[in-house]
Amino acid sequence: MINKNSTVYTFGFALVVCFACSLSLAVVSEGLRPQREINEELDVKKNILKAVELKTPVTPSMKSQEILELYDAKIEEKVISLDGQMIGDKKPSEIKDGEELYPLYVYKENGQIVSYAFPVYGKGLWSTIYGYLALEADGTTVRGVTFYKHGETPGLGGEVEKVWFQENFKGKKIWDAKTQTLHPVAVVKGKVADKVSKTEQKFYVDGISGATMTGQGVTDFLDRWIRVYEPYFQNIRNTQTP
Amino acid sequence: MISNKDKKIVKDALWDNNPITYQILGICSALAVTVQMKTALVMSVSLTLVVAFSNVAISLLRNYIPSKIRIIVQLSVVSALVILADQFLKAYMFDVSKQLSVFVGLIITNCIVMGRAEGFAMQNPPFRSFLDGLGNGLGYSCVLIVVSVFREVLGSGTLLGFQVVPQAFYDAGYVNCGLMVLAPGAFFLLGAVIWVQRSISGYVEQ
Repeated sequence: MINKNSTVYTFGFALVVCFACSLSLAVVSEGLRPQREINEELDVKKNILKAVELKTPVTPSMKSQEILELYDAKIEEKVISLDGQMIGDKKPSEIKDGEELYPLYVYKENGQIVSYAFPVYGKGLWSTIYGYLALEADGTTVRGVTFYKHGETPGLGGEVEKVWFQENFKGKKIWDAKTQTLHPVAVVKGKVADKVSKTEQKFYVDGISGATMTGQGVTDFLDRWIRVYEPYFQNIRNTQTP
Repeated sequence: MISNKDKKIVKDALWDNNPITYQILGICSALAVTVQMKTALVMSVSLTLVVAFSNVAISLLRNYIPSKIRIIVQLSVVSALVILADQFLKAYMFDVSKQLSVFVGLIITNCIVMGRAEGFAMQNPPFRSFLDGLGNGLGYSCVLIVVSVFREVLGSGTLLGFQVVPQAFYDAGYVNCGLMVLAPGAFFLLGAVIWVQRSISGYVEQ
Protein backbone atom coordinates (compact mmCIF):
# COMPACT_ATOMS: atom_id res chain seq x y z
CA MET A 1 0.00 0.00 0.00
CA ILE A 2 1.32 3.40 -0.91
CA ASN A 3 1.62 6.01 1.78
CA LYS A 4 -1.34 8.29 1.07
CA ASN A 5 0.12 11.10 3.10
CA SER A 6 3.45 11.28 1.31
CA THR A 7 4.17 14.47 -0.60
CA VAL A 8 4.76 12.60 -3.83
CA TYR A 9 1.41 10.85 -3.65
CA THR A 10 -0.40 14.09 -2.81
CA PHE A 11 1.12 15.89 -5.77
CA GLY A 12 0.53 12.94 -8.05
CA PHE A 13 -3.11 12.72 -7.02
CA ALA A 14 -3.65 16.45 -7.50
CA LEU A 15 -2.14 16.24 -10.98
CA VAL A 16 -4.36 13.35 -11.99
CA VAL A 17 -7.50 15.11 -10.74
CA CYS A 18 -6.58 18.33 -12.55
CA PHE A 19 -5.85 16.47 -15.75
CA ALA A 20 -9.08 14.46 -15.66
CA CYS A 21 -11.18 17.56 -14.92
CA SER A 22 -9.62 19.70 -17.61
CA LEU A 23 -9.82 16.96 -20.19
CA SER A 24 -13.52 16.35 -19.64
CA LEU A 25 -14.28 20.08 -19.69
CA ALA A 26 -12.30 20.63 -22.86
CA VAL A 27 -14.01 17.75 -24.65
CA VAL A 28 -17.52 18.85 -23.69
CA SER A 29 -16.87 22.51 -24.42
CA GLU A 30 -15.50 21.72 -27.89
CA GLY A 31 -18.30 19.27 -28.59
CA LEU A 32 -21.01 21.78 -27.77
CA ARG A 33 -19.36 24.74 -29.48
CA PRO A 34 -21.39 24.67 -32.74
CA GLN A 35 -24.68 24.63 -30.85
CA ARG A 36 -23.50 27.42 -28.54
CA GLU A 37 -22.41 29.58 -31.45
CA ILE A 38 -25.81 29.29 -33.12
CA ASN A 39 -27.43 30.47 -29.90
CA GLU A 40 -25.04 33.36 -29.53
CA GLU A 41 -25.53 34.55 -33.09
CA LEU A 42 -29.29 34.45 -32.63
CA ASP A 43 -28.93 36.37 -29.39
CA VAL A 44 -26.85 39.06 -31.10
CA LYS A 45 -29.40 39.46 -33.89
CA LYS A 46 -32.26 39.58 -31.41
CA ASN A 47 -30.47 42.35 -29.55
CA ILE A 48 -29.81 44.39 -32.66
CA LEU A 49 -33.52 44.14 -33.45
CA LYS A 50 -34.32 45.20 -29.91
CA ALA A 51 -31.95 48.17 -29.97
CA VAL A 52 -33.37 49.65 -33.17
CA GLU A 53 -36.93 49.49 -31.78
CA LEU A 54 -38.64 47.69 -34.63
CA LYS A 55 -42.08 48.95 -35.62
CA THR A 56 -43.29 45.37 -35.08
CA PRO A 57 -41.21 44.22 -32.11
CA VAL A 58 -39.85 40.74 -31.58
CA THR A 59 -42.14 38.80 -29.25
CA PRO A 60 -40.95 36.07 -26.87
CA SER A 61 -43.10 33.50 -28.65
CA MET A 62 -41.27 33.97 -31.97
CA LYS A 63 -39.32 30.99 -33.27
CA SER A 64 -35.61 31.35 -34.05
CA GLN A 65 -36.31 30.98 -37.75
CA GLU A 66 -38.82 33.86 -37.73
CA ILE A 67 -36.36 36.09 -35.89
CA LEU A 68 -33.64 35.36 -38.43
CA GLU A 69 -36.01 36.10 -41.31
CA LEU A 70 -37.13 39.34 -39.69
CA TYR A 71 -33.50 40.29 -39.20
CA ASP A 72 -32.63 39.61 -42.82
CA ALA A 73 -35.64 41.60 -43.99
CA LYS A 74 -35.09 44.70 -41.86
CA ILE A 75 -31.39 45.02 -41.13
CA GLU A 76 -28.62 45.82 -43.59
CA GLU A 77 -25.15 44.93 -42.39
CA LYS A 78 -22.52 47.53 -43.29
CA VAL A 79 -18.90 48.19 -42.48
CA ILE A 80 -17.39 51.62 -41.96
CA SER A 81 -13.82 52.82 -41.57
CA LEU A 82 -12.41 55.12 -38.90
CA ASP A 83 -12.74 58.19 -41.13
CA GLY A 84 -16.44 57.53 -41.57
CA GLN A 85 -16.43 55.98 -45.04
CA MET A 86 -18.71 53.09 -45.83
CA ILE A 87 -16.82 50.10 -47.20
CA GLY A 88 -19.29 48.88 -49.77
CA ASP A 89 -18.58 45.24 -50.37
CA LYS A 90 -17.74 44.04 -46.87
CA LYS A 91 -19.85 42.35 -44.19
CA PRO A 92 -19.24 42.69 -40.43
CA SER A 93 -18.41 38.98 -40.22
CA GLU A 94 -15.56 39.52 -42.70
CA ILE A 95 -13.72 42.06 -40.55
CA LYS A 96 -10.37 40.60 -39.59
CA ASP A 97 -8.57 41.13 -36.29
CA GLY A 98 -6.50 44.28 -36.31
CA GLU A 99 -8.40 45.94 -39.14
CA GLU A 100 -9.61 49.44 -38.32
CA LEU A 101 -13.10 48.68 -39.58
CA TYR A 102 -16.33 48.74 -37.64
CA PRO A 103 -19.74 47.10 -38.15
CA LEU A 104 -22.84 49.21 -38.61
CA TYR A 105 -26.37 47.87 -38.75
CA VAL A 106 -28.89 49.92 -40.70
CA TYR A 107 -32.58 49.46 -40.00
CA LYS A 108 -34.79 50.28 -42.98
CA GLU A 109 -38.57 50.38 -43.15
CA ASN A 110 -39.93 50.51 -46.73
CA GLY A 111 -36.54 51.61 -48.04
CA GLN A 112 -36.38 54.53 -45.60
CA ILE A 113 -33.55 54.52 -43.05
CA VAL A 114 -35.03 54.53 -39.56
CA SER A 115 -32.07 53.80 -37.35
CA TYR A 116 -28.37 52.97 -37.16
CA ALA A 117 -27.11 50.47 -34.58
CA PHE A 118 -23.56 49.65 -33.62
CA PRO A 119 -21.92 47.44 -30.99
CA VAL A 120 -20.71 49.01 -27.76
CA TYR A 121 -18.71 47.15 -25.16
CA GLY A 122 -16.22 47.72 -22.41
CA LYS A 123 -15.37 47.16 -18.78
CA GLY A 124 -18.04 47.45 -16.12
CA LEU A 125 -16.90 46.65 -12.62
CA TRP A 126 -16.22 42.92 -12.80
CA SER A 127 -16.66 42.07 -16.43
CA THR A 128 -16.94 43.22 -19.99
CA ILE A 129 -20.44 44.46 -20.80
CA TYR A 130 -21.66 43.91 -24.36
CA GLY A 131 -24.47 45.83 -25.98
CA TYR A 132 -25.80 47.72 -28.97
CA LEU A 133 -26.58 51.39 -29.25
CA ALA A 134 -29.08 52.54 -31.86
CA LEU A 135 -29.36 56.13 -33.08
CA GLU A 136 -32.24 57.75 -34.94
CA ALA A 137 -31.73 58.53 -38.61
CA ASP A 138 -30.73 62.11 -37.61
CA GLY A 139 -27.56 60.78 -36.00
CA THR A 140 -28.06 62.79 -32.79
CA THR A 141 -30.74 61.01 -30.78
CA VAL A 142 -30.58 57.63 -29.05
CA ARG A 143 -33.30 55.35 -30.34
CA GLY A 144 -32.57 52.43 -28.08
CA VAL A 145 -29.90 50.47 -26.30
CA THR A 146 -29.42 46.91 -25.13
CA PHE A 147 -26.87 45.35 -22.84
CA TYR A 148 -27.12 41.65 -23.28
CA LYS A 149 -24.00 40.00 -21.95
CA HIS A 150 -22.16 40.83 -18.77
CA GLY A 151 -20.92 39.36 -15.51
CA GLU A 152 -21.94 42.13 -13.14
CA THR A 153 -23.53 41.44 -9.75
CA PRO A 154 -27.21 40.51 -10.14
CA GLY A 155 -29.40 43.16 -8.51
CA LEU A 156 -26.65 45.80 -8.62
CA GLY A 157 -24.55 46.22 -11.77
CA GLY A 158 -26.58 43.42 -13.32
CA GLU A 159 -29.48 45.88 -13.60
CA VAL A 160 -27.93 47.13 -16.86
CA GLU A 161 -29.75 44.29 -18.59
CA LYS A 162 -33.11 45.39 -17.15
CA VAL A 163 -35.75 47.18 -19.15
CA TRP A 164 -36.03 50.17 -16.80
CA PHE A 165 -32.34 51.02 -17.21
CA GLN A 166 -32.33 50.61 -20.99
CA GLU A 167 -35.58 52.59 -21.37
CA ASN A 168 -33.79 55.55 -19.78
CA PHE A 169 -31.63 56.00 -22.85
CA LYS A 170 -34.46 56.49 -25.31
CA GLY A 171 -34.62 59.99 -26.72
CA LYS A 172 -31.37 61.11 -25.10
CA LYS A 173 -28.94 63.15 -27.18
CA ILE A 174 -25.31 62.56 -28.10
CA TRP A 175 -24.93 65.83 -30.00
CA ASP A 176 -25.28 69.30 -28.55
CA ALA A 177 -27.00 71.29 -31.30
CA LYS A 178 -26.42 74.61 -29.53
CA THR A 179 -22.64 74.40 -29.24
CA GLN A 180 -22.30 72.03 -32.22
CA THR A 181 -20.20 69.60 -30.18
CA LEU A 182 -20.34 65.94 -29.42
CA HIS A 183 -21.82 65.18 -25.99
CA PRO A 184 -22.08 61.39 -25.53
CA VAL A 185 -24.88 60.26 -23.28
CA ALA A 186 -23.64 59.46 -19.76
CA VAL A 187 -24.83 57.64 -16.66
CA VAL A 188 -24.97 59.83 -13.55
CA LYS A 189 -24.55 58.74 -9.96
CA GLY A 190 -28.07 58.95 -8.59
CA LYS A 191 -31.05 60.51 -10.33
CA VAL A 192 -30.70 62.85 -13.29
CA ALA A 193 -33.40 65.16 -11.93
CA ASP A 194 -31.33 65.82 -8.77
CA LYS A 195 -27.89 66.02 -10.32
CA VAL A 196 -28.11 67.81 -13.62
CA SER A 197 -29.49 71.20 -14.62
CA LYS A 198 -32.66 71.23 -16.72
CA THR A 199 -30.96 72.15 -19.98
CA GLU A 200 -28.37 69.37 -19.64
CA GLN A 201 -30.74 66.56 -18.69
CA LYS A 202 -31.08 65.34 -22.24
CA PHE A 203 -27.49 64.07 -22.15
CA TYR A 204 -27.78 61.99 -18.97
CA VAL A 205 -29.56 58.90 -17.68
CA ASP A 206 -30.34 57.72 -14.12
CA GLY A 207 -27.67 55.61 -12.47
CA ILE A 208 -28.14 52.32 -10.66
CA SER A 209 -27.91 52.64 -6.90
CA GLY A 210 -25.17 50.44 -5.51
CA ALA A 211 -23.51 50.18 -8.90
CA THR A 212 -21.67 53.46 -9.41
CA MET A 213 -18.62 51.77 -10.89
CA THR A 214 -20.68 49.84 -13.42
CA GLY A 215 -22.37 53.10 -14.44
CA GLN A 216 -18.98 54.76 -14.80
CA GLY A 217 -17.86 51.89 -17.00
CA VAL A 218 -20.94 52.23 -19.20
CA THR A 219 -20.36 55.98 -19.52
CA ASP A 220 -16.73 55.41 -20.51
CA PHE A 221 -17.32 52.82 -23.18
CA LEU A 222 -20.34 54.60 -24.65
CA ASP A 223 -18.16 57.68 -24.96
CA ARG A 224 -15.41 55.68 -26.66
CA TRP A 225 -17.67 54.00 -29.19
CA ILE A 226 -19.72 57.09 -29.97
CA ARG A 227 -16.44 58.82 -30.81
CA VAL A 228 -15.36 55.95 -33.06
CA TYR A 229 -18.56 56.27 -35.10
CA GLU A 230 -18.64 60.07 -34.92
CA PRO A 231 -16.99 60.71 -38.34
CA TYR A 232 -19.72 58.70 -40.00
CA PHE A 233 -22.55 60.41 -38.15
CA GLN A 234 -20.87 63.77 -38.76
CA ASN A 235 -21.30 63.12 -42.47
CA ILE A 236 -24.94 62.22 -41.97
CA ARG A 237 -25.63 65.39 -40.00
CA ASN A 238 -23.85 67.50 -42.57
CA THR A 239 -25.90 66.15 -45.41
CA GLN A 240 -29.11 66.72 -43.49
CA THR A 241 -28.62 70.31 -42.32
CA PRO A 242 -29.21 72.64 -45.21
CA MET B 1 -31.75 -3.86 -4.07
CA ILE B 2 -32.75 -0.80 -2.10
CA SER B 3 -32.67 -1.58 1.59
CA ASN B 4 -34.68 0.19 4.25
CA LYS B 5 -31.58 2.04 5.29
CA ASP B 6 -31.20 3.37 1.75
CA LYS B 7 -34.80 4.53 1.72
CA LYS B 8 -34.25 6.29 4.99
CA ILE B 9 -31.33 8.20 3.47
CA VAL B 10 -33.57 9.68 0.81
CA LYS B 11 -36.53 10.23 3.10
CA ASP B 12 -34.41 11.95 5.72
CA ALA B 13 -33.03 14.40 3.21
CA LEU B 14 -36.50 15.15 1.90
CA TRP B 15 -38.19 15.72 5.22
CA ASP B 16 -36.50 15.39 8.62
CA ASN B 17 -33.13 16.63 7.49
CA ASN B 18 -34.12 18.81 4.54
CA PRO B 19 -31.11 20.89 3.48
CA ILE B 20 -33.06 24.13 3.29
CA THR B 21 -35.68 23.95 6.00
CA TYR B 22 -33.66 21.98 8.55
CA GLN B 23 -30.03 22.70 7.79
CA ILE B 24 -30.75 26.17 6.34
CA LEU B 25 -28.23 25.65 3.53
CA GLY B 26 -28.41 26.95 -0.02
CA ILE B 27 -30.59 29.93 0.91
CA CYS B 28 -28.80 32.37 -1.39
CA SER B 29 -29.71 30.58 -4.59
CA ALA B 30 -33.16 29.71 -3.21
CA LEU B 31 -33.88 33.44 -3.04
CA ALA B 32 -32.38 34.28 -6.38
CA VAL B 33 -33.93 31.79 -8.75
CA THR B 34 -37.48 31.46 -7.41
CA VAL B 35 -39.09 34.51 -9.03
CA GLN B 36 -40.30 32.25 -11.83
CA MET B 37 -41.06 28.57 -11.68
CA LYS B 38 -39.14 27.84 -14.88
CA THR B 39 -35.79 29.01 -13.53
CA ALA B 40 -36.49 27.26 -10.22
CA LEU B 41 -37.12 23.98 -12.04
CA VAL B 42 -33.98 24.23 -14.14
CA MET B 43 -31.93 25.16 -11.08
CA SER B 44 -33.44 22.22 -9.16
CA VAL B 45 -32.60 19.74 -11.88
CA SER B 46 -29.06 21.12 -12.29
CA LEU B 47 -28.36 21.10 -8.57
CA THR B 48 -29.81 17.62 -8.04
CA LEU B 49 -27.67 16.20 -10.85
CA VAL B 50 -24.56 17.96 -9.62
CA VAL B 51 -25.06 16.88 -6.01
CA ALA B 52 -25.81 13.27 -6.94
CA PHE B 53 -22.90 12.86 -9.32
CA SER B 54 -20.38 14.76 -7.24
CA ASN B 55 -21.30 12.46 -4.36
CA VAL B 56 -20.69 9.43 -6.58
CA ALA B 57 -17.38 10.78 -7.84
CA ILE B 58 -16.14 11.71 -4.38
CA SER B 59 -17.32 8.40 -2.97
CA LEU B 60 -15.42 6.47 -5.65
CA LEU B 61 -12.29 8.47 -4.89
CA ARG B 62 -12.75 8.49 -1.12
CA ASN B 63 -10.13 5.83 -0.40
CA TYR B 64 -7.53 7.51 -2.61
CA ILE B 65 -7.96 11.17 -1.70
CA PRO B 66 -5.08 12.34 0.50
CA SER B 67 -6.73 13.91 3.54
CA LYS B 68 -4.55 17.02 3.34
CA ILE B 69 -6.02 18.12 0.03
CA ARG B 70 -9.47 16.55 0.27
CA ILE B 71 -11.42 19.82 0.26
CA ILE B 72 -9.71 21.16 -2.83
CA VAL B 73 -10.18 17.82 -4.60
CA GLN B 74 -13.90 17.92 -3.76
CA LEU B 75 -14.04 21.46 -5.00
CA SER B 76 -12.37 20.54 -8.31
CA VAL B 77 -14.78 17.70 -8.92
CA VAL B 78 -17.80 19.83 -8.04
CA SER B 79 -16.69 22.76 -10.18
CA ALA B 80 -16.00 20.53 -13.16
CA LEU B 81 -19.51 19.08 -12.91
CA VAL B 82 -21.08 22.51 -12.52
CA ILE B 83 -19.28 23.88 -15.56
CA LEU B 84 -20.43 20.86 -17.54
CA ALA B 85 -24.03 21.57 -16.49
CA ASP B 86 -23.57 25.22 -17.44
CA GLN B 87 -22.21 24.28 -20.88
CA PHE B 88 -25.20 22.05 -21.56
CA LEU B 89 -27.60 24.79 -20.50
CA LYS B 90 -25.83 27.31 -22.75
CA ALA B 91 -26.10 24.92 -25.68
CA TYR B 92 -29.65 23.68 -25.27
CA MET B 93 -31.51 26.13 -23.01
CA PHE B 94 -29.88 29.44 -23.85
CA ASP B 95 -32.64 31.74 -22.57
CA VAL B 96 -32.93 29.96 -19.26
CA SER B 97 -29.18 29.95 -18.86
CA LYS B 98 -29.18 33.72 -19.39
CA GLN B 99 -31.81 34.19 -16.70
CA LEU B 100 -29.95 31.97 -14.26
CA SER B 101 -26.78 33.95 -15.14
CA VAL B 102 -24.21 33.51 -12.41
CA PHE B 103 -26.34 31.26 -10.25
CA VAL B 104 -25.49 28.10 -12.17
CA GLY B 105 -21.83 28.85 -11.56
CA LEU B 106 -22.65 29.53 -7.95
CA ILE B 107 -23.84 25.94 -7.48
CA ILE B 108 -20.14 25.40 -6.83
CA THR B 109 -20.40 27.45 -3.66
CA ASN B 110 -23.79 26.04 -2.68
CA CYS B 111 -23.16 24.67 0.80
CA ILE B 112 -25.35 21.65 0.10
CA VAL B 113 -22.98 20.23 -2.53
CA MET B 114 -19.77 20.56 -0.55
CA GLY B 115 -21.57 19.65 2.67
CA ARG B 116 -22.80 16.34 1.28
CA ALA B 117 -19.45 15.54 -0.33
CA GLU B 118 -17.52 16.14 2.88
CA GLY B 119 -20.20 14.96 5.30
CA PHE B 120 -21.51 11.87 3.55
CA ALA B 121 -19.69 10.76 0.41
CA MET B 122 -16.28 10.66 2.09
CA GLN B 123 -17.51 7.89 4.44
CA ASN B 124 -20.01 5.96 2.31
CA PRO B 125 -20.03 3.71 -0.75
CA PRO B 126 -21.02 5.14 -4.16
CA PHE B 127 -24.60 3.92 -4.46
CA ARG B 128 -25.55 5.12 -1.02
CA SER B 129 -23.85 8.45 -1.70
CA PHE B 130 -25.78 8.75 -4.94
CA LEU B 131 -29.05 8.26 -3.03
CA ASP B 132 -28.00 10.80 -0.45
CA GLY B 133 -27.19 13.32 -3.18
CA LEU B 134 -30.45 12.62 -4.95
CA GLY B 135 -32.40 12.98 -1.71
CA ASN B 136 -30.77 16.25 -0.80
CA GLY B 137 -31.17 17.59 -4.31
CA LEU B 138 -34.84 16.69 -4.30
CA GLY B 139 -35.28 18.14 -0.81
CA TYR B 140 -33.84 21.40 -2.08
CA SER B 141 -35.97 21.19 -5.23
CA CYS B 142 -39.23 20.71 -3.31
CA VAL B 143 -38.71 23.85 -1.28
CA LEU B 144 -37.63 25.81 -4.37
CA ILE B 145 -40.69 24.72 -6.30
CA VAL B 146 -43.11 25.54 -3.49
CA VAL B 147 -41.56 28.98 -3.04
CA SER B 148 -41.45 29.67 -6.78
CA VAL B 149 -45.12 28.68 -7.31
CA PHE B 150 -46.22 31.21 -4.69
CA ARG B 151 -43.84 33.88 -5.95
CA GLU B 152 -44.81 33.55 -9.58
CA VAL B 153 -48.57 33.36 -8.98
CA LEU B 154 -48.70 36.17 -6.43
CA GLY B 155 -45.95 38.30 -7.94
CA SER B 156 -46.65 38.04 -11.67
CA GLY B 157 -50.04 36.32 -11.86
CA THR B 158 -48.56 33.59 -14.06
CA LEU B 159 -47.38 30.01 -13.65
CA LEU B 160 -44.64 28.68 -15.91
CA GLY B 161 -45.33 31.75 -18.04
CA PHE B 162 -49.08 31.08 -18.47
CA GLN B 163 -51.56 33.59 -17.12
CA VAL B 164 -53.41 32.04 -14.16
CA VAL B 165 -54.92 35.10 -12.53
CA PRO B 166 -57.90 35.96 -14.76
CA GLN B 167 -58.04 39.34 -16.45
CA ALA B 168 -61.36 39.97 -14.67
CA PHE B 169 -59.47 40.19 -11.37
CA TYR B 170 -57.23 42.94 -12.73
CA ASP B 171 -60.25 44.77 -14.13
CA ALA B 172 -61.78 44.60 -10.65
CA GLY B 173 -58.71 46.31 -9.20
CA TYR B 174 -56.49 43.36 -8.26
CA VAL B 175 -52.77 44.19 -8.32
CA ASN B 176 -49.81 41.81 -8.43
CA CYS B 177 -47.85 41.76 -5.20
CA GLY B 178 -44.56 43.49 -6.01
CA LEU B 179 -42.95 42.22 -2.83
CA MET B 180 -43.05 38.67 -4.14
CA VAL B 181 -40.83 39.56 -7.07
CA LEU B 182 -38.15 40.90 -4.74
CA ALA B 183 -35.85 38.89 -2.48
CA PRO B 184 -37.70 39.78 0.78
CA GLY B 185 -40.81 38.04 -0.56
CA ALA B 186 -38.80 34.82 -0.79
CA PHE B 187 -37.61 35.28 2.78
CA PHE B 188 -41.17 35.53 4.09
CA LEU B 189 -42.26 32.49 2.10
CA LEU B 190 -39.23 30.49 3.15
CA GLY B 191 -39.97 31.37 6.77
CA ALA B 192 -43.55 30.24 6.30
CA VAL B 193 -42.45 26.96 4.68
CA ILE B 194 -40.07 26.25 7.57
CA TRP B 195 -42.80 27.11 10.07
CA VAL B 196 -45.34 24.80 8.47
CA GLN B 197 -42.86 21.96 8.13
CA ARG B 198 -41.64 22.22 11.69
CA SER B 199 -45.10 22.40 13.18
CA ILE B 200 -45.99 19.18 11.33
CA SER B 201 -42.76 17.37 12.23
CA GLY B 202 -42.82 18.68 15.78
CA TYR B 203 -39.18 19.66 15.58
CA VAL B 204 -37.96 21.75 18.52
CA GLU B 205 -34.69 23.65 18.62
CA GLN B 206 -32.42 22.02 21.26
